[in-house]
Amino acid sequence: MDRLPENLKQPTIDLLLAVADDKLMLGHRNSDWTGLGPILEEDIAFSSLAQDEIAHAQAIYELLSPLVNKTADELAYGRSADQYRCAKIVELPDNFDWAIAIARQFFCDHFDRLRLGRLARSSYKPLRDLAYRLAAEEQVHVDHVDAWIVRLGRGNDESKRRVQTAMDGLAPLAPMLFEKVDAEDELVDAHLYPRADDDMFHAWRDVLQHVAHEGGLSIELSPPDEDAHGGRRGHHSEYLKSLLDEMCEVYRLEPGAAW
Amino acid sequence: MSKIREHPPDADGEMTSPKEGDLEAFAVFTQLQRGDPHTYAGCVDAADAKMALQFAREHYGQDQPCVNIWVVPKRAIAATEYDKDLIWRYTDQTYRLARGYAKGVREKWEKIRAKNDLDDYEKEDLKEMF
Repeated sequence: MDRLPENLKQPTIDLLLAVADDKLMLGHRNSDWTGLGPILEEDIAFSSLAQDEIAHAQAIYELLSPLVNKTADELAYGRSADQYRCAKIVELPDNFDWAIAIARQFFCDHFDRLRLGRLARSSYKPLRDLAYRLAAEEQVHVDHVDAWIVRLGRGNDESKRRVQTAMDGLAPLAPMLFEKVDAEDELVDAHLYPRADDDMFHAWRDVLQHVAHEGGLSIELSPPDEDAHGGRRGHHSEYLKSLLDEMCEVYRLEPGAAW
Repeated sequence: MSKIREHPPDADGEMTSPKEGDLEAFAVFTQLQRGDPHTYAGCVDAADAKMALQFAREHYGQDQPCVNIWVVPKRAIAATEYDKDLIWRYTDQTYRLARGYAKGVREKWEKIRAKNDLDDYEKEDLKEMF
């Protein structure tokens, strides 16, 4: 289909905001590392990946733009915190602990690759075409972060301890990436957000555990609590507000200014 | 600068790293199109070849369309020395260069092509007549 049925419009908007908001916040958090990366090469690579995340978010906001009658900039910078649909894991600061930044990226990139893989089969053509391209780029991110997890795990006692601690700290939080937006089941039934071939949570957990195992590390993950209300329904941590205050500082001075 | 960066916390305890260093230098070769030769693009320091490919992809693969990348540990490359190893000879050996042939060869080729064109023309001409 090229046009959205009226009853699926709002759920589609919520779902795409979830995808784009995750990427925008992650890109913003990662861009804080520019100039502070552990080695020069990684500093440049990580900054480049952060730009990718922001470019992905922008492309999705542009797809959304005609549906909500707002520009991509208005969507990215012009909402109040409760109108964002990102998961909590992308909101948290990493306190410049490289192990936390990598662990966060590990959980999020693998989730995003699976999510984009589903969207790349969407019945809604504009979304399918975009997701197909983004999924290919997301694979690059996954390869990058996997290499780091294995490298840190096999590094020395300190690197192993720190990356294991970081993963243990984020593991209880990470499954909330799977929280559904309102009326998500209707999108699944309409193949707008097609079902994964295998259960997506198990696929995600398996691949994370496989990579962790390769680095001599372990991950314990429980399925998301269906009743918990989180970022996908507008319930955010206090960190999102301070992130937005800073990210949107310039935009808020003069919304709609031409650049 | 981001506010969060004004007070980056100190890492707890001493960071440990081996004396000989964690990283190794890799030479990067990029290929712009399939079938083209890989050309030397520069260097990256990385812990292993896999990581070197990751870095090379972001450093050298993003500036222009690029279809393939090689990384080679620099220690695997044997090289001549500028001051010690003589490559270009001191005596006049310009006869080794094909330069002198260029003009004569081109003239010969042009003659052959012109004759071929004429033959083709005559063939077509005959076909039309009979």
